Amino acid sequence: MKWRPVVWFLVTALALTASIVSAQPRRTITLWYPAGDIAAGPVSPFTDPNLFAPFEATNNVKIEMVGVDYDTMVQKIFAAAAGRNIADILFIDTSWLPGFLKEDLLQQMDSAKARKWLADVVPDVVDLSDYGSRTMWGYPQMGYDIYGLTWNKAQFKEVGLDPERPPATWDELRDYGKKLAKRDAQGNLVRVGLAIRHVGNPQGTVHKFTWALWGAGADIIDNPNLLHGGKPAFNNAGGLAALKLYLDMLNVDKTTSLSFPDPRAALLQGIASMQISETVSIRARQPKEAPNMPWGTGWGMAPPPVRKTGDRPGVLLGGWLFAVPKSAKNSELAWKSMDWLNSEINDYTIARRFDLTPRYKANWAKDPFRSDSYDQALLKIARYGRRLPINLGLNGVLDSLGFAIQKALHGEATPEQALAEAERLAQKAIDEAAK
Amino acid sequence: MGRVAPSRMHRRHYIHAYLFIAPVIVLFGLFRVWPSLQTLYYSFFKVELLKGRLTFLGLQNFAGLVHDEIFRAATLHTLTYAAAIVPIAAALGMILAVLFNEEFPLKELFKAIYFAPMVTSTVAAAVVWWWLYNPQYGLFNVILKLMHLPGQPWLLSSRMALPSVIIFSIWKTLGYNLVIYLAGLQAIPHEYYEAATLDGAGSLQRFLRITLPLLAPTTTFVFIYNSIFAFQVFDQVYVLTGGGPARATNVVVLELYNQAFQRYQFGYASAEAMVLFLFILGVTMLQYVYSRRFEVAY
Repeated sequence: MKWRPVVWFLVTALALTASIVSAQPRRTITLWYPAGDIAAGPVSPFTDPNLFAPFEATNNVKIEMVGVDYDTMVQKIFAAAAGRNIADILFIDTSWLPGFLKEDLLQQMDSAKARKWLADVVPDVVDLSDYGSRTMWGYPQMGYDIYGLTWNKAQFKEVGLDPERPPATWDELRDYGKKLAKRDAQGNLVRVGLAIRHVGNPQGTVHKFTWALWGAGADIIDNPNLLHGGKPAFNNAGGLAALKLYLDMLNVDKTTSLSFPDPRAALLQGIASMQISETVSIRARQPKEAPNMPWGTGWGMAPPPVRKTGDRPGVLLGGWLFAVPKSAKNSELAWKSMDWLNSEINDYTIARRFDLTPRYKANWAKDPFRSDSYDQALLKIARYGRRLPINLGLNGVLDSLGFAIQKALHGEATPEQALAEAERLAQKAIDEAAK
Repeated sequence: MGRVAPSRMHRRHYIHAYLFIAPVIVLFGLFRVWPSLQTLYYSFFKVELLKGRLTFLGLQNFAGLVHDEIFRAATLHTLTYAAAIVPIAAALGMILAVLFNEEFPLKELFKAIYFAPMVTSTVAAAVVWWWLYNPQYGLFNVILKLMHLPGQPWLLSSRMALPSVIIFSIWKTLGYNLVIYLAGLQAIPHEYYEAATLDGAGSLQRFLRITLPLLAPTTTFVFIYNSIFAFQVFDQVYVLTGGGPARATNVVVLELYNQAFQRYQFGYASAEAMVLFLFILGVTMLQYVYSRRFEVAY
């Protein structure tokens, strides 16, 4: 019969095609996230190798999550981008964004998706997402990375202070500091009232100074939403008052010291009663580093004190961003996976699972977030959250201001001299970046 | 069978020699010479690596360096660092070598202990020293307290940070200098010492009149070698202080690293690298020319 070979041919061809299709290898896309202390504890969902499992199963893709050392991550991203061999998805610190935008490294998010996102999330997350005129460069992380005052409740009790009532003004802060600072028999300070950041990366010094700067009415750059141009806004009465507050605690009250380590470590080691920096770090590190100081009964958090009663606090709302670089080899899949990860349902499940705060308004209305004391305390602080400026010269500005703060604290310059020099260098950085 | 002409043999001999050293030459050219030439080239441009754009600036990057107070301060810190570490590490190395040239129990063990820092990773050692310098828990302040002396802020003070880095670097370099000096000492003929002793020279005189002058070539080598590494100091500063506090330990290589990888100014960073290169070249040439006066032959 003549039709038999034709049928055999068709069957064989079908079987071959099916086997080729089914054997098609899964595509692999990569995601770089910061590893090390920065991602310690519950803040990193990337510790779960099955985070993307449902997405991988339905899209025949493998998402490889690669931990990159935080301290050198910027350099690695940059070198990889220059070598056209970069990850498809980057989880980046928002403070790196201006530098990356300056180098035209990132893809802008689709405007329709951006509009929808901005309509669905809470106002603080809108602030973190919107880079002017609803421009988005990626999805901000789940979990607030907000700065706040954290304090040791046992030490408050020890000196007769109400452990549930942190200082609300600068005067109170200094007064509390005097009560909390502790000295040994020789008069050496063995516990500071408020630990301050005065060494290390200058940008970190600024991050931990913003509460005082903003609280005094000064700013880093006059228009924080401007990419090009602008002026430094810290060399003024407010900036000077903020720096003098630190110097007064250091030299007049002697309730803080330059011989103490990073403020977070100092609080967790019990050698500082208060500190103002990333609340999420205390939450992540406390169970391991200070197990006898649990959230709620052991330590508390609140917006930082203001200059005078009635002023509005200002706290740094930092965070990380899921972004896709321009030279990503699998852009479409990268965005698709990010849309999936940052969907409303995953926002809820992942935030709940990893003890993070959600971003969608709808999820804040659900338990556990609406009733959890820690989440609600974060929400209260986030109300005063402010993002770093997006100016392309930001790196230079932060470096200048950070070194100025360090110089003034170490007595290398008067506050006036330090701020004037920083203003000049910051302006140079802004102008150069705008060229 | 005809004889191979001597010139042909000679040629073949050279070809073989070149073939043997070719892998090293190729690798050296690829990973040392080519990047250096590229750095020189970039130093005349504004370099935007990601955009693949080079804008010719002529000598503008170099002119910028002249007015750059941060670069000037970094240069000063580098010079201070080099001026401290080179003579101190050389002098201590020489003194220890003289001691180790004598026989005493466990000599080899002590030699190994002194040499150990040299073969330890700078980063790993710096991390350990960072803890030693910790004002609250560090060993150094514990020792000071035991001696009833006030604790010091070490790396946390803008005045003490650079000396603290220098102390670490001396510790790290000492072992190498010790070994080099020991080799130099062992090359000095013993007859000189015997003759001097017969002439009534004391140990100090023998050291000043024989050891010191005859070690001059070794000292030159140690100075040049240590200077080159001192001008290129980076790892320990990066780990111990990050250039702070208040830029008190910012050195040239750290500054150019920041310009390149924090501010993405690769052209400017290249100009800084070229200035450093010329500086090291100049100092090395100067030391080399000057040292020829002290050359000795036994």
